Formats: sequence, C-alpha cells, structure tokens
Amino acid sequence: MLVFDENIAEWVTSVEESMSKYTVEFKGTKEGVTIYCQESAGFEEILLDLAARLRQRAVFFGQSKVRIDVGGRQLTEAEQERLADVLAQNSKLVLAGVQTSATRPAEASLARRRGETAELKLENCKEGRSIVIKRTLRSGQSVHYPGNVIVLGDVNPGAEIVAEGDIFVYGTLRGIAHAGRSGDRSASVVALRLAPTQLRIASVISRAPDESSLPNQPEYAYISEDRIMIAAVNTK
Amino acid sequence: MGAVIVITSGKGGVGKTTTTANLGVGLAMLGEKVVLIDADIGLRNLDVVMGLENRIVYDLVDVVEGNCRPKQALIRDKRYDTLFLLPAAQTRDKNAVTPEQMKKLCAELKEEYDYILVDCPAGIEQGFRNAIAGAERALIVTTPEVSAVRDADRIIGLLEAADLGDPKLIINRLRPDMVKRGDMMDIEDILEILAIDLIGVIPDDEKIIISTNRGEPVVANDNGSLSGQAYRNIVRRVRGESVPFLQLYKNSSIFSRLKKIMGLSG
Repeated sequence: MLVFDENIAEWVTSVEESMSKYTVEFKGTKEGVTIYCQESAGFEEILLDLAARLRQRAVFFGQSKVRIDVGGRQLTEAEQERLADVLAQNSKLVLAGVQTSATRPAEASLARRRGETAELKLENCKEGRSIVIKRTLRSGQSVHYPGNVIVLGDVNPGAEIVAEGDIFVYGTLRGIAHAGRSGDRSASVVALRLAPTQLRIASVISRAPDESSLPNQPEYAYISEDRIMIAAVNTK
Repeated sequence: MGAVIVITSGKGGVGKTTTTANLGVGLAMLGEKVVLIDADIGLRNLDVVMGLENRIVYDLVDVVEGNCRPKQALIRDKRYDTLFLLPAAQTRDKNAVTPEQMKKLCAELKEEYDYILVDCPAGIEQGFRNAIAGAERALIVTTPEVSAVRDADRIIGLLEAADLGDPKLIINRLRPDMVKRGDMMDIEDILEILAIDLIGVIPDDEKIIISTNRGEPVVANDNGSLSGQAYRNIVRRVRGESVPFLQLYKNSSIFSRLKKIMGLSG
C-alpha cells in the first residue's frame, strides 16, 4: 500500500523540478559521454540548455567522445549542424554521432498510382553512360550498372536491375528495379508495363500498388515528397 | 546419331520423373531406341515409376567410375525392348558425377540410341549441372502455380547461360475447371511470363497417380484418358511432328478475349 506522506510528495516535486530544470541530461558510458535530449522540449530550448550545461561541465569531460541522443526527433541536416556548433563553441567534446529512436520509413511503403496522366519529365533523364540489354531478364539474373539501364525485353519476378541512373524497360517490369542507386533522387523508372515486385529510387523503397491488374499503358515512377509516385506516360 | 534431351523444372514435385517415364515409353512405342538416365543420384525414383527397381545391378556412378560398361548398367524395360533405363545410385550423392563425365557418357550413348532422356533432379546445384551437361535440348516441366513458374523462369535463364537455348515448355497438372473459375493460372498467363514455346499441356488426372504407383506409365494405357493422349501428343511433337493441342477447355468468347486485350479484365 502506498502511503502518500508529505516527504514523498516533496521528493516527487524535487525530482520533477530537477528534471524540468534542464532539457538535456549527461550520462557517462564506456564509449564516452551521451547527451540525452528531453522528448517534449523544443529544439531551441535544447540548444540553449545544452550551451549552459556544457559551460558548467565541459571541463569534466575534456576531449572525450560524445553522442547526442535526440529521442524521437528526426533532425534536419541544418539542425544537426547547429547542435555541432553549440558543442564546439562551448566544449572540447568530440561529436561522435547523433542518434535517434525515430523509426525511419525504411520499410517499403505503398507506391501510389496517380490517376491523372503526367508528362514524362524528360529533362531529368541523364545522358551518358548507358547499357542496352537485348533480352528478357529472368528470375535470379541481375544487372548492376553505373549509368542508365535499358532493357529490350521483360524483367521477370526474381530478377533485379540496379542502376545509378534511370531504368527503361521496353517490356513488362515484374522484378525489382533500383534507379539512382548512389542517391540520385531525380532518377526514374520507366516501363511499358510497370508491375514491379518492388521499386527503389535512391533510398526510397516502395511496394507495387496492390491492384492486381497490369497497367495497359506505359508508366513511370519517380520520387515526389519522399514517396515513389507512379504516373502514366503521356504518349500523345 | 541420337538426341540428348534433359527434362528439368527447378522446383521439385512438378512431374519431371513421371514425364520422363511417359515420354520414354511413348517414344519406344513408336519404335525409337531410347535410354532414360536418372540423374537424381541419392534420390532415385525413375526406376520405381518404370517398375524396374528390382532389376538394378549397376548404376550411373558405376558407369562413370568405370566399374562396368554402359551397356551392362542399362536395364531393358519389361514391355518395350527398345527402352532402357540407366538408374541413379542411391547410396551416393550428386558430387559422385561431374559434368564432364556426363557429357562423355551422353556422347557415347547417342551413337547407338535415338533418344537419351535425362531426368534432372530438382534444384540448380551440382545435380542440375550434371544433368544438363550432355544435353542439347531441354524440356521444362511446370505446374500452373506461381512458385513453379518462378522456378521454371530461373531454370530457363540458367539454360540460356549454359548455351542450351530454345527449351520447350510442358505445363503439367492443369485443372480446366479451376482455370475457368479464375482460380488457377491460365496457359496464356504462364506463357506470357516464360515466353518460350509450349510443347504440351497435361491435365490433372488421377489415372497418372494410379499408373505411376503401379509402375506402368499412363502413355501406354489405351483407356481413353486425356493425360495419356496429352503425353502421346508430346511424344510426337518431340519427334518433330506438328500435332494440334488438346482442347482442354472451351476458348473464351470473343467478347471476353477483347476485354482481355483491352486490359479491362485481369
């Protein structure tokens, strides 16, 4: 049975106070120091607190390595830079990394098929190194190429194409296609019939739309707002 | 000079051995001199399906290791005296034979026989490589299942890589009633993915199971079974004849075909 006497109430408030006093916590680990940022605090608040606490304690930590745990947040690159700046200005700690518990959308999201017809954004197509494959790629066969890949035939389920540039399939794409392998988010996948097992562009992965029927017109896939979108190619 | 034909599928249990036995018997019925080679070393079945299990003295491994001459290992069939079986060894594994040895053996056999049918084991490893080594033609067996078709596709790719081009497809165990209801892959669906020539479609038939268990291939039974007829047709096509395909189910109406062409129906 819990006895709620005054002492406990006092202790509870003091803990709450100490917790709310700062939005960042320092913890020493074997690998160095980890700075935990409070989940509910605003980013600006965290920066201010971090600067203040670093000035107080930096001397204890010297030049050890530090990791910053930002909780469930996902920081932009600019925000990460500002964190690093604060760290550099107020201490000699070496930033070893920023960790987040936020789950990145790494699992395959569903590609969305757009109803309307879109112009194929040919201005994004890159000229240069290309390979032409004049046969059908069958299950177990794969093509990895540092440029564009053009297939004159089908890409069957179980086959994969990985290209640094764009992928064009003059046939039915049923396997896996990964365009923009090295991070080119403007890369696209074009096929006469686009029915892939999976589509990947740069680091975005998507499953095929769950419609079972094959499209009856050429389509292309591209990244729009971190998602892979599929649109019909306007052939007129 | 005979022809060496490998019967393969990738996936197990789709009917390679049954097909090999039936084609072998069918060819022998037409007077061809035929050798069936069971390349599934360690898991031999062809002898059982042929009903010849109790006559095995020497096997494939004995032949390639030189323990006997090929002729000594060949078992003559009970009913057709131009049909022979070269059984697999049961106590060894696939590594007991090399592709070179198979090549040499097939070359030797085709000097004297019209058809050498090689029953390939499931899988794509050593056993598969052995089985295709001496072959110049390939028959791929699949069933109307997504997994079997996927494996057949893989096999076609591997055969291409081994310069064994232009394989022919046998679709086994088709159930016309299920296709009609849309619950089974259609012949056209399979051909669209695999994109190779069809040499025959065998309907699902319990007579095949009965005859296989008895060791009497269905192709020889004159009981009016569609499956036996389908095998007899494939035998003739293997010999180069042009035989019309069995009408297993009524063609879809012109209207539904049009819809399919226009992509209105899945």
